[in-house]
This record gives sequence, C-alpha cells and structure tokens, in this order.
Amino acid sequence: MRREVPLFITFISGVLLVIALFIPHKPFGNLEQRFNDWYIIVSGFTMILGIDSLLLHHWNRFKRKREGWIYSIALILAFFITLIWGFYSGIKVGSPFKPNSSFLKYFYTFVFVPLQATMFSLLAFFIASAAYRAFRARTFDATLLLTAAAFVMLGRVPEGNRASVYLFGIALLIAAVILLLEAKERVSTFEKLIHYLGAIVAIVLIYILYRVLPSYLPQIADWIMNIPQLAAKRGIFIGIALGGIAMSLRIILGIERTYLK
Amino acid sequence: MTALSTAFLFLILQFPAPPQNVRAYDTPNDAGNSITITWDLSLDDSVVSRYEIYRSRGEPSVDSAVAAGSVLRGSTKFEDNSVENNTPYFYFVRARADTLYADSKWSAAAYAKPQWFHTGRKSALVILIFFGILLFYYLQKAKQGAELYVRRIAGLEAVDEAVGRSTEMGRPILFILGLGFVSDIPTLAALAILKRVSKKAAEYESEVIVPCYDPVVMTAAQEVVKEGYMEAGRPDLYNERNVYYLTADQFGYAAGVDGIMVREKPGAVFLQGLFYAESLILAETGHSIGAIQISGTTAVTQLPFFIAATDYTLIGEEMYAASAYLSKDPLSLSTIKAEDVAKMVFIALFVLGVVLETLAVITGNQSFHFLKNWFALF
Repeated sequence: MRREVPLFITFISGVLLVIALFIPHKPFGNLEQRFNDWYIIVSGFTMILGIDSLLLHHWNRFKRKREGWIYSIALILAFFITLIWGFYSGIKVGSPFKPNSSFLKYFYTFVFVPLQATMFSLLAFFIASAAYRAFRARTFDATLLLTAAAFVMLGRVPEGNRASVYLFGIALLIAAVILLLEAKERVSTFEKLIHYLGAIVAIVLIYILYRVLPSYLPQIADWIMNIPQLAAKRGIFIGIALGGIAMSLRIILGIERTYLK
Repeated sequence: MTALSTAFLFLILQFPAPPQNVRAYDTPNDAGNSITITWDLSLDDSVVSRYEIYRSRGEPSVDSAVAAGSVLRGSTKFEDNSVENNTPYFYFVRARADTLYADSKWSAAAYAKPQWFHTGRKSALVILIFFGILLFYYLQKAKQGAELYVRRIAGLEAVDEAVGRSTEMGRPILFILGLGFVSDIPTLAALAILKRVSKKAAEYESEVIVPCYDPVVMTAAQEVVKEGYMEAGRPDLYNERNVYYLTADQFGYAAGVDGIMVREKPGAVFLQGLFYAESLILAETGHSIGAIQISGTTAVTQLPFFIAATDYTLIGEEMYAASAYLSKDPLSLSTIKAEDVAKMVFIALFVLGVVLETLAVITGNQSFHFLKNWFALF
C-alpha cells in the first residue's frame, strides 16, 4: 500500500492533466492552474523544512568548527536580523515588503543587488576561460567551432566587419609565412609544391577577404545563426519534447518510480 | 459661407470614421464566459486614440449598453471575458478621438458557450495517440522478453567511473540539482541519476553532498539518496544533513555551491537538472578544482556552456533516458525504443514537409501547405 497509493495518485493526476489539455470545459479547463495552486501551498509549507535544514547545517558547521565556520555564523546572524527586522517593519509600517520599510529597502539596494551583480559579472571571466578551452583548434570540430564563433562575433559587433579584415588577414598571413618556412624544410618536391601552393592560396584569400568580407560578414553571421545553429537547436528541442513525453508516460504508468520511497 | 457654417464643417471633418464589419462570436476553445469581438479599423485610425467596446444584453439598445472595455488604435480584436453563457449579447465599437467619436453598427447576437474539445489541439491528440500505440507495442515486446538495443551514452557510462574516481581520491561527490522544481521533468530525471550515484557511493562508502535550491526538491532528494543507500545495503552511511537547502536565489545558490566546491573539493561533480545563467559559473569552478564533471540539462541555451566546460554532457533527451539506461529495466527501455521510432517518423515527416513546401513555392498550389497547416494547429 505504501507504494500503490502514491502510484495511483500519480496516475490519476497525470491522466487528468492530459485530458485537461484537450477539454477546455469546466472542471477540466482550469485544472492545471488548480494543481499549480495546490503545489504552491504545499511548497510554502516545505519552506519551513528548508529553513530548518539550512540553519541546522550551518549550526553544525559552527559547532564542529569546520573550515569556513565564520561564514556560517554570518549566515545565521543575517538570517535572524532580517527576520526580526521584517517582523518589526511589519508591525511598524504594515508590511515588511513595503518600499517605505527603510531597513529592507537599504538591505535590498545596497547588499542584495550588488552581491547578485557581482556573481553575475563573474560570468564574463568564466566565459573567457571556457571559450579559451573550447576554441583551442586541436581537432577539426574545435577549429570549425572557432571559425564559426569568429564569424558570428565579428559579424555582430560594431565595426566588426572592418576589424575582421585585419584579424582574418593577419591569421592568413601567419599561415602563409608558416607554410613558406615549412616548405624550405621539406625534401620532397611534391611536398614543397603543396606548401608553396598553400601559401599562395592564403595570400589570394587575404585579397578576396579584403574585397568581400566587410560587406558580407553580417550576412554570414546571420546565416550561421539562422540555418545551421537553429537547425541543431530545433533537433535538440524535438528530442527533448519526445523524451519528455516518454518520461511523463513512464511516470504516469508507474514504470518510473525513482521519486518514490 | 458664414463663420458658423465653416466651424460646423470643420467639426464634422474632425469626427473619425466609424469602425466597420463588427463581428461578435463565441471565443473558440475556451471554458465559456467569453465572446470575441472583431472589426475593421476606422478609416481615420491614425487620429483615433482608442476603440471602446460596448455591449447590450438581450437586445441591441443604446440605453442598456455598458462599456465592456477598450483597446488602443490599430487593434481589431477584443475578448469580453465577463459575459454569461447562453445569453444573447450585442456589441458596437466606438472609435474615439479625444471628445469626438463615431459608433459602428450593432453586431449580430453572440452567445458564449464552453467547449468540450479543443479543436486547435487535434494534431497534438493524434501525435499522443500515435505515441501511445507505439509505447504499448514496445511494452508488449519487452514483456515478451524481446531484447531492445539502446545506443551507448558516454555520459551515463561515466557515472560509475566518476564515483569510483572520487572515492579513490578520498573526496566527496557533489550533486547539483539546478534551479528546477519537482514539477519539472528534468529535475525528476536528475533525481533518477542521483539515486544511481547514491547507490554507487554507498557501495564505495563515499559521501554525497546535495545542496538544493527548492525545499520540495530537497525533501525528494533526501528520500532518493536514502533509498540509494538502502538498496546498497548501507543505510548506516546515510546522512540526511548532506542533502540540504541552500537558497531560492539564483546567484545566491551559485555562490553557495561555488563555496562548497572550493571548501570540500569534491572529486566528482554532477550538474543535472534545469540551469540558467549560473551554469557556467558552476561548471568553471568545478573545472578549477580538478573534479570530473558530468552535466546534463534540457535548457538548450546552457548546453554549449556545459559542453565547453565539463567532461561529459547529457544532451536533452539523453537525460530523460538516464533512469531507463542505468536501470536496464526492459519496460523502461521499451519507452526509449518507442521514442526513437517516433523520432524516425518525425524525420520522415519533416523531409516530406520540406518537399511539399518546395512544391508549393514552385507550383504556387496552396494545397501543398496541408501538412504545415496541420502541424500549425497546435
């Protein structure tokens, strides 16, 4: 019974919600909203469990003097100060969330918002480090990624089309010089010829880029974003949708029971 | 012409033209109590400030007309959601330009009615029935003992390796469930992976830390980890305090998890569930401490970050397949098989759609759009 009852509730709830998708008539029409309301009520109560868990965790860290216990003290103090001040504001101005509750307004504007902004701005540095690793042209895939990213980035920034000529031009010039230096060290005439040919192609490409790239770069960037990128994204979306249906049916039919005790 | 008649003419010229062709009809595919009103724009729409919609109950009478609402100029549609079912309502639309206005003619009577079937979701119903038939076919095959092949998923194969490596290093395992709620399918899929990780960790006598964003998810995760330890026969090793609530703030959660990573130095980090802008902050911190990282999400915008920063990534549907793949349960595997066949059918339909749309463009024959229109129903 310990398993059967939750499985039955899951089955009934799941089937009802599927039916509700196709029947707008009451009582099915607003069933999803009603279920969501119930969920919000239940989750409101579980917040007490969350607070209990958080405070006990940090209290234990403090008691056992584990590394960084001082931050646990800061958290517990901040929690109770906010709570007490919230109650005080509630009594004084009618609600702890009103803008004229000076402490919470001060706390929100000068502590909460800057802390969030700090964490979010870290993203810029992390993007740079992750991009460095991802774009190292060690494999064909990574080279392709690097080239596509260069086109998209330059195609979407101001003056990117002008800068691209110099950037791609310098890259091709370096490639041409390397090929010429490599050609000198080759013994076989055929290999020498291939290297010289590669260097000539690189130089010709610089000229073509100079003539063509500035006017076509934004279109190239748009094409990459609208055709190959979007196609791959949609493929993943379709997979996710079908996977979601399969997973939901597994849960409704009781095949997937991981969430049960 | 006198000054008075000139002024009168000027006044007439300032009246906006009235809206035309006012139509009122029952709002389709709803639970009732709603009538939709449409009209053609006033010829002087550029000088109109707004369109006011008036309704009269029972008969078209200006005396009993009440305002139902208003919309800005350029709008040709209004939904009146405060009507009674099965009662005749008549509407007219007033084009207002400051103090001057012009009224349209009355619409015909309209009755609000609730519908028993959402006609706009016919295609979804057909797809659901088709998928259901496929699913039951493969469920039957699985029950009959047929062997179902599912391709190798590297990210899931690496789960045991990551837990083992972490144990060898004498470090805990960090399982991050993301910002999803328990009503999100990715979170449920992540809980299935958590169970497997907990079971393996219990077998290796390792520790699993699960910081949670939502208290309901925390409660579910506590149960799942406990179950994993019990299945491994080591309930004594389970510590409820290792699955704890952190915060319901996105970047507060990211800061908290980063702190845990830097302090506890886990040997393996699992990032499974729904992630948003914090995904890369977490994955890069995990990389900086040298942990083996297995990520998985259905948030398409975060997938490139995970692919760039973590060792293995479960892309979208692979995450949903995790529980079936890891358990090797034939019934669960049959649902993945059904999903794969459905995918093949969809690919065939897409190819057919491309061919039909190309033909429609070449020949100009609109009937070739039938497949696109059918899918557009949803």
